[in-house]
Amino acid sequence: MMRIKKRSKGDIAFTVLSRIFILLLALSVAFPLLMTVSVSLQTMNEIYKSDPVVIPSEFMFENYKTAMSHGAWARYFYNSAIVTVITVIISLFINSMSGYVFARIPFKFRNALFALILLGMMIPTQVTLIPVFSLLRKLGIIVGRENGLFNTYTGLILPFIAGSFGVFLCRQFYVSFPKELDDAAMIDGCGRFQTFLKIYLPLSGPVLASLGVLKFTGTWNEYTWPLVATSGDRMKTVQVALTGFRDEGEIYWNLLMAATLVSGIPIYIVFFFAQKHFVAGLLAGSVKA
Amino acid sequence: MQKTNKKDNWTAYLMLTPFFVFFLLFVIYPAFQNLFFSFTNYNLDTASWIGVKNFARLFEDTTFHKAFKNTCVYACVSVFALTFLGFLAAALLNKGIRGVKWLRLLLIFPYATSMAAVSMIWLMMYDPNNGFINKALNFISLRGRDWLFDPSLALGCLIFVNIWKNIGYCMLIYLAGINSIPEELYEAATVDGAGEATRLFKITLPMVKPVAFFVLVTTMVDAFKTFEQVQIMTRGDPMNATTTIVHQIYVSGFNDFKMGYASSMSVVLLLIVMLLTYVNFRLNRAGESEVG
Repeated sequence: MMRIKKRSKGDIAFTVLSRIFILLLALSVAFPLLMTVSVSLQTMNEIYKSDPVVIPSEFMFENYKTAMSHGAWARYFYNSAIVTVITVIISLFINSMSGYVFARIPFKFRNALFALILLGMMIPTQVTLIPVFSLLRKLGIIVGRENGLFNTYTGLILPFIAGSFGVFLCRQFYVSFPKELDDAAMIDGCGRFQTFLKIYLPLSGPVLASLGVLKFTGTWNEYTWPLVATSGDRMKTVQVALTGFRDEGEIYWNLLMAATLVSGIPIYIVFFFAQKHFVAGLLAGSVKA
Repeated sequence: MQKTNKKDNWTAYLMLTPFFVFFLLFVIYPAFQNLFFSFTNYNLDTASWIGVKNFARLFEDTTFHKAFKNTCVYACVSVFALTFLGFLAAALLNKGIRGVKWLRLLLIFPYATSMAAVSMIWLMMYDPNNGFINKALNFISLRGRDWLFDPSLALGCLIFVNIWKNIGYCMLIYLAGINSIPEELYEAATVDGAGEATRLFKITLPMVKPVAFFVLVTTMVDAFKTFEQVQIMTRGDPMNATTTIVHQIYVSGFNDFKMGYASSMSVVLLLIVMLLTYVNFRLNRAGESEVG
């Protein structure tokens, strides 16, 4: 039976303080987001006013249309979508296959190679930025492109295929599968690759969903690599195009905020529908090696 | 050690090939090449060996010193705030407030948003003329500031953006840690007459120490890699007040085409990140008997 305990004065003060803290935190996170929506619906006259405008006098939904015709936004979205979808699909397949190998097949140098992958997790992409740039230049010359693989989808995709974290996560996931699964498959005449393809892969829903959502957000949100690997307007990704608004002489804040919100739509869709997987992926990253 | 056989060896190598082609080509090889470049005057066309000249120059480059100092300040303040506020948010949110699901969603929202978009939002907020913050300050008869254009405020503004973006992530990690604390501990403490605050500081806080350490290291590593918000919001200005290590790598490499020199900065960054990761790894291993 539950005993209703009398709350002390200290407890009440604590509860009040903690509610205030949560309220302030929520407000400071929410307010800039609300202002983004608000400014995206304002006229430039309202933005030039010296008084703060929180609720626009008229909701200028046309701003969104104007913003999207301010540059080739259909093209930017297409670029980002191609790069993101291909990167996610290839990397999920390749990384999970390697995760399976490390989890299930005993082979020579297994531990050494796995250690190398863990080491790879420590190398920030910022450190390899210049060498990868120079590599893409050479690779381009090999395939007969004088200017390297810049301004190509290939150039935007290749550096993001191999993900140490993905291999690591899939290995952890597959290790918990019962060994009998492999034995049964062997008896049925499946080789290792077939076992992976026909048995492990179809059971990989949760881990691939988490990895996929993380890879999707990561690739869609990537800014630095498209910044250095593309030039001109045609191959710009959404993130790079978005920052272009800032470099104009006069910044149209309403259009900029509209574009900012639109640029995140794919992420928000994935995020809302796969919130569970997104969170699971983040938490899996915090489980240590 | 499991026995290996020839057939398995070959299957394994074959199945690993696609991954390792990309991994070696785009991660491991570039890391070594970066080390090599750092001893050359590589400029995208030619590279001749110049020994430790780049590193000697780093020691005298006041801009790089500034970048290094900025990065350290940025990292320390962000990490302190995130480790602390993230904990408070998680611990207090866990107390069964109505709508906690929505609050959690709200707090992770900025984390899912790209740094480019977040930078745009805060450029709007901080803008001295049309930005919301100054308008609000004027409204209550306070003087507006120049924020990102003020050398003494700009770095702080960027740090605030970083905290704003990442607090939800830190809270999530803490929440998972807090949820794994056995309920009996709290019950026992309550029977002994411990109040809410006592339980928070005497049970929750010590029990999430390993989580706190993880949050600390991840946010620290992240902060040392800071580039996007600097490049987008301030370009390192005013007067290098906001330039960071990675921003200097970018400027030296892609604006000045001194890629050899930029590589020496990358080596410094790599050493810092590896040291942090190693410390994290060792301390985690020390705390866990089971090895995965």
